Amino acid sequence: MTVVEARGIATRRGDVDVLRGVDLSVARGEVVAIVGPSGGGKTTLLRALNYLTPFDAGEVVIAGQRLHPGLRERGDAAQLRAVRTRVGMVFQSFHLFPHLSALANVTAAPQYVLGIGAAEAEARARGLLGRVGLADRVDAMPHALSGGQQQRVAIARALAMEPVVLLLDEPTSALDPRLTGEVLSVIADLAAGGQTMVLVTHEIDFARRVAHRVVVMAAGRIVESGAPGDVLDRPRTAETRAFLGLD
Amino acid sequence: MLAFVAGAAAADDGLARVRARGALRWGGDLQGGEPYVFLDPAGGDRLVGFEVEIADGLARRLGVRAEFVQNDWQNLVPSLERGDFDVILNGFEVTAARRGRVAFTRPYYRFVETLVVRRADVDVHGLGDLRGERVGTLSGSLARDVVGAAAGVETVLYEGVEEPYLDLEQGRLRGVVLDNVIAERYGLVRPTLRLAATVGEGEYALALRPADASLLAALDRALDELRDSGELRGILERWKLWDARQEAPGVTSLAPAAGPATHLGPAQVVLFLRAAIATVTISALAMLLAVAGGLLLSVVRRLGGGVARAATTAYVELFRGTPVLLQLYVLYYGLAPVLTLDAYTAAVLGLGLNYAAYEAELYRAGLEAVPVGQTEAALALGMSRLQALRRIVLPQALRVALPGVANDFIALLKDSSLVSVITVVELTKQMTITAVDVRSWVGPGVLCAALYLALSYPLSRLARRLERRLAPA
Repeated sequence: MTVVEARGIATRRGDVDVLRGVDLSVARGEVVAIVGPSGGGKTTLLRALNYLTPFDAGEVVIAGQRLHPGLRERGDAAQLRAVRTRVGMVFQSFHLFPHLSALANVTAAPQYVLGIGAAEAEARARGLLGRVGLADRVDAMPHALSGGQQQRVAIARALAMEPVVLLLDEPTSALDPRLTGEVLSVIADLAAGGQTMVLVTHEIDFARRVAHRVVVMAAGRIVESGAPGDVLDRPRTAETRAFLGLD
Repeated sequence: MLAFVAGAAAADDGLARVRARGALRWGGDLQGGEPYVFLDPAGGDRLVGFEVEIADGLARRLGVRAEFVQNDWQNLVPSLERGDFDVILNGFEVTAARRGRVAFTRPYYRFVETLVVRRADVDVHGLGDLRGERVGTLSGSLARDVVGAAAGVETVLYEGVEEPYLDLEQGRLRGVVLDNVIAERYGLVRPTLRLAATVGEGEYALALRPADASLLAALDRALDELRDSGELRGILERWKLWDARQEAPGVTSLAPAAGPATHLGPAQVVLFLRAAIATVTISALAMLLAVAGGLLLSVVRRLGGGVARAATTAYVELFRGTPVLLQLYVLYYGLAPVLTLDAYTAAVLGLGLNYAAYEAELYRAGLEAVPVGQTEAALALGMSRLQALRRIVLPQALRVALPGVANDFIALLKDSSLVSVITVVELTKQMTITAVDVRSWVGPGVLCAALYLALSYPLSRLARRLERRLAPA
């Protein structure tokens, strides 16, 4: 069953074609890793999937909604909220709410968006924070947490909405190598648990190990897509070979 | 004559000083308006009025020219003592209280204090009928002493002569007590008002520093000549001020004296504390309104469409770009025909609406300081734009804005003194009233400053603590 279906996504920023007609389909339970050189359009594609970045052409069918060019944050708020309530997002620089504790970061959306009671939201949040290894840090404020811990809270925050798909935008790029491991192991656990994910990453080895499919983007196009072993070890295109440094 | 001049010169040099300068400097306030001293309605900066002509007539007899010095009417005595001018000549009533501080010449005009009421109030015949009612009069005037001496009557103080009658028409007052000269020109010209009673009488005279005895003697002689020659009568007739009272002999003031100077005792301190409560109440309520209004403006600006954004920008520019004093006048007097606000409501509204513009700017800066990623993270979780603002962005923005809010409250506390123009007696107004009563600025000034400091110092401590706590580590 398909969870995300993007067709012909194209968008310009100024004179630059950031995306030039991208198709992407993600099945339930699938983990898709998007890799490729910087400026290739990976993050823009990911943000197009929940319309944080609008696009100029194409469409995205996600969470039962059809997103198309021309939607407005104000005028089409109901439709956009319907998508975002069901689609989780993890940002490169975490974007934890600094005025809320780790626990409150996780309970905020279930309480305000889904209307879940405080006690139930808290119990679930404690469970999720335990799952990402932060059972003993639930009351900490974000500034008191390490980068790796903050990103794990951010993952728990996204999971609290029980998303049909989790979008992760370079979740370890802001972390030093020592902290990268703890975040990657959480993501690997989620993959093992069957969580559908689209992951933009520079961690090639991690993609090889965890992803079901690797998508290589360059210059606004998908240049290659397939099983990690095929794409990463036997690349067919010059762009992929260049990106992997094989030439 | 020679002996007199020699004797006077030995005692003081007031007259010599005036002659040496070639000008008699006289102090008055143009706000008193027609017929006293005012700008020629025909244009230019020429001054006209019966007191201008009296000043010219007196100066001519001293062999000098007259030179007008503008001064706030309430502060004529302190300015005279400072030496800003030689004489006060501006509807300045002879009272026993003032005699303790200045020397008066012979009077040049006799007037009565009139009680003016609405025509509809047919059963008001004197101040005795106005127990528990609000009666308007001029700050620091003899009329104010008359109203103050009437049992059970609430005194409402004004700075100008037009406003009390406006408020009487609007129903904010039940009566106005002022000199007949003012009543005839500003009050009784209104068809809805009538003369209820004469409640006192008095005289206008020139006031000098007591030390200027030679100048006093010379001015008294000049006044006699002005009267005897018929010139004074001519002036008064020209200004439609001449009446039978002016022919009565005798120079004794029948004005009710305010008694000897009040001392700055417990009773005055109680008045100050009450005024401080008014200052705090008005400031606090206005600040609440300003915070709420500022929040509303900044939220509309952020979430609203083009029209709403333009409207909030226009609001901010209008209220920041015009003086709050003018806004208070418009709110209280300008709107009165359609919306008659009481003075306290107008004060809170005026200050609150004005400060809302400043708060809105403060919150806007705070909102802009919150990274856009915060909004994106909230939206990505399915929050509405309003939820994202209220739950995520605004709490962070207010934290940034909080020290500024505390500083604004301190500024508002002091700006609240402006509401005295719409008859509210708060701390600063109480100081000017008491300063007149006790005939000194020192005690009331120190007391007033002490109370303001007691109110603002804790706030500024709080602001500094907030700044420290919120500063980046």
